[in-house]
Parts: sequence; structure tokens; C-alpha cells
Amino acid sequence: MDWLFFAEVTLAGLGSGALLALTALAFVLIYKATRVINLAVGEILMLGGYLFFAFSAGFGLPVWAAIPLAIAGGGAVGALVERALIRPMLGETPISVFMVTVGLGSVLMGVAELVWNTDPRALPDFMGATPVFIGEAYVSRKIAVGFVVAGVVIALFLLLFRFWRGGVALRATASDQAAAYSCGINVPGVFSLAWIVACATAAGAGILVGAIGGISPTMGVFGLSALVVVIIGGLDSVLGALVGGLLIGLVEAWAGTYLGGEFKLVTTFSLLIAALMIRPYGLFGTVEIERL
Amino acid sequence: MTDLNRRDILGLAATAGLASTFFSPLTAFADEKELVIGGSIPLTGVFAFAGVAIEAGISDFVKITNEAGGVAGRKLRLAYEDTAYKVDQSVAVFNKLTTQNDIHLYYGDSTGFAKTINEELNRRGTILMAGASFGSELNNPEKYPFQFMAGPDYVEMIAILLEYIAKEQKGAKIVFVNSDTEFGRDPIEASVKRAKEMGLEVVGQIVTPPTAVDVSTEILKLRRANPDFTIFHGYVLAPLPEFLSQAKQLGLKSRFMGTFWSMDNSLWANVGAPADGFMGVMPYRYYYDTAPDAPILEKIRKLRPTYQATGYMQGFLTAMLMTEAARRTLQAGKALDAKNLKAALNTIKDFDTGGIIGVPISIPGNSVPVGRIYSYSAADKQMKPASDWISLKK
Repeated sequence: MDWLFFAEVTLAGLGSGALLALTALAFVLIYKATRVINLAVGEILMLGGYLFFAFSAGFGLPVWAAIPLAIAGGGAVGALVERALIRPMLGETPISVFMVTVGLGSVLMGVAELVWNTDPRALPDFMGATPVFIGEAYVSRKIAVGFVVAGVVIALFLLLFRFWRGGVALRATASDQAAAYSCGINVPGVFSLAWIVACATAAGAGILVGAIGGISPTMGVFGLSALVVVIIGGLDSVLGALVGGLLIGLVEAWAGTYLGGEFKLVTTFSLLIAALMIRPYGLFGTVEIERL
Repeated sequence: MTDLNRRDILGLAATAGLASTFFSPLTAFADEKELVIGGSIPLTGVFAFAGVAIEAGISDFVKITNEAGGVAGRKLRLAYEDTAYKVDQSVAVFNKLTTQNDIHLYYGDSTGFAKTINEELNRRGTILMAGASFGSELNNPEKYPFQFMAGPDYVEMIAILLEYIAKEQKGAKIVFVNSDTEFGRDPIEASVKRAKEMGLEVVGQIVTPPTAVDVSTEILKLRRANPDFTIFHGYVLAPLPEFLSQAKQLGLKSRFMGTFWSMDNSLWANVGAPADGFMGVMPYRYYYDTAPDAPILEKIRKLRPTYQATGYMQGFLTAMLMTEAARRTLQAGKALDAKNLKAALNTIKDFDTGGIIGVPISIPGNSVPVGRIYSYSAADKQMKPASDWISLKK
């Protein structure tokens, strides 16, 4: 056994798992507050990548300005979608809202094709090309950056949910909307906040994913991989998104290396089936989660 | 029994007569004056970047041909719809268009569609089809008698690459990297065998999942194999730039190569420095090629002043070859059926494509096994020829 090689594969797996975890966070934030599974997370991620491309390559803005603008753009889309599409659906069945988000994904993909055309593109490099070595183990620079960003963001959210008033209001709304109303919590405001923050997070993940794999109108399929993560980790658990993401990243890396690339998805979905059989609400999810 | 009386029957007959008098000239016009190219073209979805260019290429060929008087007295017309690169939608478009139009030439969008519709093409016996697929399975005139491709199939593309490699470096070490899709798997087995027969050493095969973004683990495998050449197949762009970028970070000496659909100039122009030196096989000249023996490219540049993608050339040449088959069939006074069209196509020998392909071509079977190696120059932001045209001997 080549332990250095194993360590490198493991680090690569943790890095790509962190990207999955960051995207999964967008699913969790919306579900936690509103009980809506937003299937358009992948397309909002795609939009984040394109917004960064537009601000940096199109308008020639420096990276330090293009990144926050792209993230803010994602948040603005989230606010618009929540106010115009999701809030009028309050009280409708979960499957109706779910289908609205499926349609939203198609619309966003169409918009991207119309505005930026259908060509795949590479994002301007903003992470540098110097390789990172941990001891003797090589890690791709982009993956290392992605891991650090995802780790910081997820830790921040864990702290916010624990200590910030807005985070506590979100948890209260998730537990019992009527009780939250009676305590004076602005429940529609919490819904908006969840959509804004989640879509901004997805847009940020889109910049990282786009920096690694390039952008195209169909890159939203990455969101489906993250959906597997949240089902395994728990639809309403931030910690579950982190653990699920890292777990899937590791399993895929090991399976891809030692069994072959064609076994990556087989292994992932086998894990999903096993997780659903053993803990249908996810590793860290709340037991009474309604499933579609 | 119906309760029509004599007056109703006479009325209906008169209406039918009037209708036939009114519409028959239109039908006759359509039959005699038009040659319709049908198309299931992916204008949206994962293959849209190619579909949009293909549609532009076919449309321009139709325009140029009509301005020159058409095909044996007939005007060409393109009738197409978007398929989103989905086989069921492609079939639905095929059924719709062939019902609404008298179609004898058809452009299909994928290997899946070509395989699915093959039985129907054989049953009808009226349509000659080509398309975006270079699937090696389609390069079988017995099984696919009414189809062809305007270039080498995927196995032939890699064979062209291998010929170049064998000439450059005897006994070179090669790694194949392919996506885990029908497209990606197509040429691998045959190419591994061929490489070994040519004295090249295959030191690894790497497969990436269809939706792969991060390829760090695959790069680690590549580093261990340490090949002289890495051949990618089954991709358009991603994750190739990441492979190239990380390989450069690690100081790998491998040269990287791709096949037709990953050879578009504008895609690599966005990638920048890591793209420098990326090579691959191209069956056609690029839009910007000003070779003196390529007058059609000059015409295209006048028609469209900005760069046109490789899919454009593919669409343009496909339309040219199927139209040439129709022209030969009509000029011979034969019926426009699939058998005659394919037989006419196979009479194409040492044909001048106007410079789209740099050598005269022949189509004895279902493919045109010709290509050239190009290499990307990041400084010039252009794919540059790295070899002469290579024609495979059967």
C-alpha cells in the first residue's frame, strides 16, 4: 500500500466533498426555514458562476469586487424568487412548490443560454497555479481553496444558528411557524432571509465549482450530487450537510481510485440507498421530516 | 349508415374538387422545386453549443447553394426543430418533420438517435441520414445502410492521433482518459488494441463520471502512470482545462490530445495559458484558415465576419455531402430514395470540398477517414496545424 498516494487521494476527496457540502448547505437553509426542497439550487449555482464571469471577464472588474457582486446577485435572485414565486404558493402542497422549483431551474438555464449563449467557458483564474503540498502530499490549489472556503462558511452558519437572533428566529420558525408568529417573529421575513442567504451561498459555490470545472448552462447538474449529500446528511441539518459532503467526497475518491471512475456514481448511490434504509431522515436530520 | 343525401354528396365532391384544384399546384411545387433537409438539432441542453453552430452551418450551405441555382433545379430548404439532445424528442421531431415535409435528407443529433431511428430509416427506404455522431458503430454500411458521417468515426479519429504519436515518438507511453458515457467509451477498447499493435505502450486508462467537475484523484492516477501522451475522449471542454492546469502544476511531461468535439478554437481561447500545446484531431479546417485552396472558407467569412465554431464546419460539410448525393441521383434521372442516395454518396471520389478538408475526399463506406493534428498556441490564441492531412488506409 502506497500511503502517500492514499493520503493524496483522501485529501482530494475531502476537498471535493467540501464543495458538495457548501452546495448542500443551500438546500438545507431553505428546507430548514420553509420546508421547501429547492431543486433549482444547481441552476442558481450556475447563475453565480455566470455572474462572476460577467462581472470579471465582461465588465473587467477586479476579482475582489466580482466575487461579492456575484454572491449578492445570487441573493437578489433568491429574494425575487421567494417573493414572486414561493410566497404565493404558501399553503399549497409540498409537491406543488417542489414542481415550481423544477420549473424555475429550467427557466434559469434558458436565461443563461439566452444571455451568455450555450458555449462552455472557463472562468478567469483567481486562485493561482502554485501547487499546495501538505507534507509530501499534493493537493490541487483550487481544491484546497474550496475546502477552506467551504469550511469557514459552514462553521459560520453553525455559529449563526446557535448564537445570532436571526438564526434562532429561523430555527424557531422551522420548529413551529404558528408559535414563532405568536412570539413576534416575522415569519415571512425569515422565509425571505433563508432564500436570500441560501441562494447567495449557492452562487458562491458556483464561483468555486466554475473555477475548477468551467461554466456552462448545464453545470447545474452538480446540484443533484449535492442533493444526495443532504438526503444522507439530513435535509434540515447544517452539520449533516458538512458530514454528508465530506463522506460522499471521500467515498467517491476512494472508489474512483481503487475500483475505477465508472464505480464512483454506483458507490455513491449504493451509499444513498443504504442510508435511506437505515436512517431515512438522514444521519443528522429531524426524525419527522416529510419525504417526497 | 350516414344520412347524406344526393345534394350533400354533390356539395362535398365539389368542395373536394375545388380544394384539389387549389392545393395541387402547391403540392406539385413542393415536390418538384424543393429539396428539404430535415433536422433534429440540439439548440438547447448539454450539446447546444454544437447544435447552434451546426444549424448555422447547414443554413449557410443552403443559402449559398440556392444563390448558385439550387440542386438540379430544386431549391434547398432546411426544416428543423430543437431536440435538447434527448433521443425521445429527436424521434418526435423526426416524425413531425417527415409528416409535414417531403424529406429525403436528414440531420440527426446523436448516436442514440441514429441507432434508435435506424430501423425506421431502413423500413421507409426514402431518407439518407447523417448527423453529429461519429460513433464507430454507425460506420457499418451493412447495419446502417442509409447513414453516413462527414468525417472519421471516433476509432478512426484516435487512429489518426496514434499515427501521429507513432511517428513522433516510437514506443511512446499513452494513457486514455474517457468520460463514462456511450460517447466516451466508444473508441477506447479498439484504440487500446490498435495502440499496442502499433508498438505504443498503454500505461493507463482513466474513466471520469459523466458529471465530473473535480478531477484531482484522476490527476493523481495520471501522475503515477507518467505517460508521454494523454488522449481524452468523450468531452467538450470540462474537465480538460483542470487536467491541463494541474498537470502543469505537477510538472508532468505528458502532451495532451483530444478528438473533434473538444477541438473548438473559441472554447480553448477562454482557457488561456494552460491550453498552450493542447493537441487534437480535426477533420476540417478552422474558420480562420486562409489557405489558397480553401475558397469556401473565404465565402463563409464574407457571410459571417466573426469566428464560427467547429460544429459549423461539420454542419456545412454534412449538408454539402448529402446534397451532392442528391444532385448525382437527380442528374442520373433516378428516384430520390435512400438506396439511390447512398449509392450516389458512395460514388464520391477525390471530391473537392472547397477547402473545408485540405485533401480530396472519397466516401467508399459510411465515413470520411481523414484528419489533421492541430495544436493550440496560447500566444496566438489559435489552433495551428501540427501535421499534414492524414488519410487512414483501411
